[in-house]
Amino acid sequence: MRETEVVIAGCGAISAVGCGIETLRDALKKNSSGLRPLEKFSSPRFQSNVAGAAPRNFDDDNPAWSLATEALQQARESAQKILAEIPAGRIGLVLSTTKANIEALERISENRPCSETARRHLQANLLAADLAAAHGARGPVQTISVACVSGLIAVQQGAKLIQRGEADAVFVVGVDCLSEFVVAGFTALKALDPLGCRPFDAARCGLSPGEAGAAIVLARKDFAADSTIKIRGFGGSNDANHLTGPSRDGSGLAQAIRVALKSAKLSPQEIDFVHAHGTGTSYNDAMESLALKTVFGETSPPVSGSKGMLGHTLGAAGVLETICCVLAMQNNFLPGTPRLQTPADGAPKSLLREPKFGLRVKNVLKLNTGFGGMNGALILSHE
Amino acid sequence: MNKISIAAASIVTEADLPSARLGQRFGRLDLQSQLALLAVASLKINFDEFARDRIGICLAASAGSLSTDVNFWNGRNGIGGPSPTLFAYTLPSAAVGEIAIHFHLTGPDLCFVGDDKNLLAEAADFIRRGDADGCVCVFCEAVTAGCAEMISLPQTATAGAIFLKRGGGLREWREFDRDMKALCALILQSKSAG
Amino acid sequence: MQISTHELKSKIIESLKLQDITPEQIDDDAPLFGTGLGLDSIDALELVVLLEKDYGIVIKDIEEGRPAFRSVQTLADFIAAKRPQ
Repeated sequence: MRETEVVIAGCGAISAVGCGIETLRDALKKNSSGLRPLEKFSSPRFQSNVAGAAPRNFDDDNPAWSLATEALQQARESAQKILAEIPAGRIGLVLSTTKANIEALERISENRPCSETARRHLQANLLAADLAAAHGARGPVQTISVACVSGLIAVQQGAKLIQRGEADAVFVVGVDCLSEFVVAGFTALKALDPLGCRPFDAARCGLSPGEAGAAIVLARKDFAADSTIKIRGFGGSNDANHLTGPSRDGSGLAQAIRVALKSAKLSPQEIDFVHAHGTGTSYNDAMESLALKTVFGETSPPVSGSKGMLGHTLGAAGVLETICCVLAMQNNFLPGTPRLQTPADGAPKSLLREPKFGLRVKNVLKLNTGFGGMNGALILSHE
Repeated sequence: MNKISIAAASIVTEADLPSARLGQRFGRLDLQSQLALLAVASLKINFDEFARDRIGICLAASAGSLSTDVNFWNGRNGIGGPSPTLFAYTLPSAAVGEIAIHFHLTGPDLCFVGDDKNLLAEAADFIRRGDADGCVCVFCEAVTAGCAEMISLPQTATAGAIFLKRGGGLREWREFDRDMKALCALILQSKSAG
Repeated sequence: MQISTHELKSKIIESLKLQDITPEQIDDDAPLFGTGLGLDSIDALELVVLLEKDYGIVIKDIEEGRPAFRSVQTLADFIAAKRPQ
């Protein structure tokens, strides 16, 4: 059953660089940044007001629903022909989110208007159930919440559902929204860069929050003969070190990468590109650099990270950043690292500041790590 | 060896917490992490029999981290700001992290929001795929009064755990054994009877 | 005005929810972080909140607090020096 090939049949996204996959592709090619100072977080109670806001209404009481729905609609449209052949009972949904519609908690606590649906979507599993119902997925539904690795794990769970024969297609949806809750939280941890995140930069000093809705349609290869990018491997591990700080030597992430390579039956040399987690915090980027050195030695494949463009989109990150990898593979280019100026000592020598065009990108390794010591590594392959 | 077995089961409630002896820092954990950690400790598994990177953790949190989210948010206007410690626990996977740290389990993890119906099957899948040799499964229901006011779940504070492993054990796990709570109760009952 | 180390230890125990330990068991000069009491980076942030909430001292930069956080005694001295009158 593990022989069943799982391919990417469609994608959708809404994020700090705008709405739609073409917009995201163009932003990746231009290496632009969607981080902006926001009025909403300009009070002294927040460490930084720079964030990656999606083009959406900030008076919306249910932004989680809105962003997820927009992304999923785009993804379904792009996979229309394939989905038409698959009955609803064979379509599953896996939702990845850390805070679901936390907006509702803020509104209720301040006696501001909050609809029943917005309140209902405080519960991530109900958000998942409602998304599945609204988008014709009557197969298995799962709600994943594993900190910032959620998105990658959701992609893997979607692939597993298909490999186990429980579904023929799965909507993998990632969503998290900008909120005072999250910005106040990262402020309490003093984890924000007041100027906006600068992943792998010598002057980096924190992350920037971001929001996004991102969706991928996974399908069994027999239903999607023309889809050429497949899920080839996955590895997960736990640092078992500290709740908010990664293991300093990167050994946990290195382990996850090795497990992924083994499951993909690939050697490190066969990886063409690594899309890093790269949050811009001192610890994360240093740890990730070490992990890459451990696995790849001195000659790591080209590496870059997109959080300087999109911000840290938490539960959406794994899905959104996987889509960045898909766009790179489909358009024969490697993304750069927006907002990177001077690479830090110890950053991978193959770190890309600017995009590189005209390259065939066959095997991509996507990394994410999260609070609680979580590590995830996903491998995509282009036919 | 295709057999997967249940090696141990446990159920704990808030009432069991005061007598928990799980280190000086146990008090810092949020309610959900405390219940989850105590449930796993109560399994009394000797993890030394396994390679630590071959033990997975699968957890289902019925209310996500909403109880702690409410606590964190209620402290936002305090002098000095809200608690950084509480923020670290505003993730259902914080409980997974605490279990991993306490028992040094570095294998693959899963964390779901909602019921535990898929937990044992996912853990069994980890074992069948060769990603793990054993898996700690935990269901958590941590709904404080403040949280219950917000959402459609009743106030409760309980957790239970099952250790699933490749090979023989207390009782073979079968594909249709999906109700974790009932299974825990059954195993604990037969243990005290037998 | 000097701060009673006993009072400070009680506040630390309460704020960090340390279990099975009394103020008498914490040595004035023992390290707070790493070894000794074994506090970590989240605890450091929590102590920064404590300083503001209970003593009105605002630490802008965590590096500023580092030497002060070495032991209960250095923290007590820091509070006595920085506390608004």
